[in-house]
Amino acid sequence: MSVTAALPPEQLQQAVTRSRKVSASRWRLLVRTPGRVISLVIVLFFTLMAIIGPYLYPKNLPINSNDIYAPPSTAHLLGTDFEGTDILALIITGARYVLLAAFIAALVTLVIGTAAGLFAGYYPRSAGRPIMRVTDFVLAIPGVPLLMVLATIWSFGSPQQMGLVLGITGWGGIARAVRAQTLSLRERGFVEAARGLGIPGRRVIATEILPNVAPYVSMNLMMQLTGFIYTEVGLFFLGVVKYSSSNWGVMLNNAVFQADALTSTRALSYLLSPLICILLLTISLVTLANVGDEIFNPRLRRI
Amino acid sequence: MKLTRWIVVKLITGLIMIWVVASAMFALLHDLPGNPAATRYSELVTHGDTPQQARAATAAMYGFVPNQPLIQQYGHYLWQLLHFNLGQSIAEQGIPVSHIVFDAFPWTVILCLSGVLASFLIGVTLGVAAALRRMTKTGDGITWFGAILNGIPTYIIATLLFYVFATEWALFPQGGTVSIQYDPGFNAGYLGSLVTHAILPVIAYTLAGVGAWVLTTKASVISVLGDDFILAAELRGIRAWTVARYIVRNAMLPLFTILAIAFGLMFSGAVFIEDVFNYPGLGQLMINSLSTSDYPVLSGAFLLIIVAVIAANFLADLCYPLIDPRVRRS
Repeated sequence: MSVTAALPPEQLQQAVTRSRKVSASRWRLLVRTPGRVISLVIVLFFTLMAIIGPYLYPKNLPINSNDIYAPPSTAHLLGTDFEGTDILALIITGARYVLLAAFIAALVTLVIGTAAGLFAGYYPRSAGRPIMRVTDFVLAIPGVPLLMVLATIWSFGSPQQMGLVLGITGWGGIARAVRAQTLSLRERGFVEAARGLGIPGRRVIATEILPNVAPYVSMNLMMQLTGFIYTEVGLFFLGVVKYSSSNWGVMLNNAVFQADALTSTRALSYLLSPLICILLLTISLVTLANVGDEIFNPRLRRI
Repeated sequence: MKLTRWIVVKLITGLIMIWVVASAMFALLHDLPGNPAATRYSELVTHGDTPQQARAATAAMYGFVPNQPLIQQYGHYLWQLLHFNLGQSIAEQGIPVSHIVFDAFPWTVILCLSGVLASFLIGVTLGVAAALRRMTKTGDGITWFGAILNGIPTYIIATLLFYVFATEWALFPQGGTVSIQYDPGFNAGYLGSLVTHAILPVIAYTLAGVGAWVLTTKASVISVLGDDFILAAELRGIRAWTVARYIVRNAMLPLFTILAIAFGLMFSGAVFIEDVFNYPGLGQLMINSLSTSDYPVLSGAFLLIIVAVIAANFLADLCYPLIDPRVRRS
């Protein structure tokens, strides 16, 4: 039972204007500095690249053994790799794996983490204890070593498989944050009122608490996205997981360990291209998450 | 009295976690695709070993005997674990896993410990400064610096450091732990070489961790700034420097819990940093054992990492009442 539904029309109108004002002020926070606008543009740009990138090139990119490690030129804007493939093409087609896997992982953590956090926070005594034990356990296990162990039995070939595992092992942080929020929300008047009306717990969680936790979760999720991108690209960088198509992590691995990019300059563009893409994407996501931080934590604002 | 009970509960929770992970490792080794333990057993039998010999050899390698009832295999495995017997390596025939793993462990711990402590000290200092000066350019600059560093993956930091300081300018050696020209021991050349080899990896750890510390410290300090006791102290005209000390002491408390978690996270970073700088710690051991399919070593290294993380968390829990008197009383 949502509170706004019970309001008379004129008050409802006021509530709507108020919420428009709130979203307008949030929008102002977002566009307050040029850095944030640029971040938004970068994230949208890479998302677009991930969606349409693979359609722009043939499935198997052309190789040319006469033109390996070519420096950037008009024919190859970013140069070529160890088999003469255009690096720009590799970057554009490789974006999908990275973003899709991170997106799926975020979706999985969103579902598991929010559900665990909501129930642990709303029933702190009964369901809360076992849920938090499991959450602490999940949080304590270092992610990359765990994924390396899992690589012996699980294939990370498709972004769906990668995203699923990242999500299943990575929901602890969100569960904790949501639990803390829920714990404080359940003492608030409107939740107590709903409880007093005899509304069953599951409905109170879904209609009263969830909408209040949702913006907080979305901000947390943005930080998690960067973490997922680090980890998946890192696994390919280490060269410990098998892959079916090239992506940014595979490029980094080839550049560092096959092309000796660390000790010679011939593969500099091969090394820097995926590296800068990852940096741009993750730093943009962090910047956008900071906007969320300022929205929910007004004391952080610089007025 | 309550404190002792609390410690015992924490200890038991930690032991249960280790047991769960150990059981998972058993299941993993047991159900690996192709079942290497059983394959090894039949290989030995076809090579003319008696079943007893083959069974003993496989048991030494994996810590359990194939072809036994599952529950007996599991019991055998756990019993061996209690005696720190993790089986034998496959890649380096006959060498006990515990030997290999404990050889690698100190390298990781040295890097992790110095990296975590350095990033903690630097990050907290910067974070406090950023919070107290949040209306100025300095504060903005520090926050920006923290956010950017926080957005850069560990392996990119390590790769760039290596490229700039070991290749372009060659100020530091290109990976490894020590130059072979020095004899191991307490002589200046050897120790100096150890240090110069460790500097870049430790800087990589520090940079990887410092951003998160700046941001969390800033948030923690700002949340204390609004507390009533700070307002009261300011109204009484206590010197700004003293008030800042009150603020920092209270803001530090939640940070110590995060410090324990940071030790766990560091092991993820260790994998990347040891890989780039060719440092023979647990991370590199895991990478190598994965590429040579040396599963006993892989699971042994992972178990040791888990035990280290749980021990660090437990120690942090023990220290917390010492730092925050309010926890002791409640």
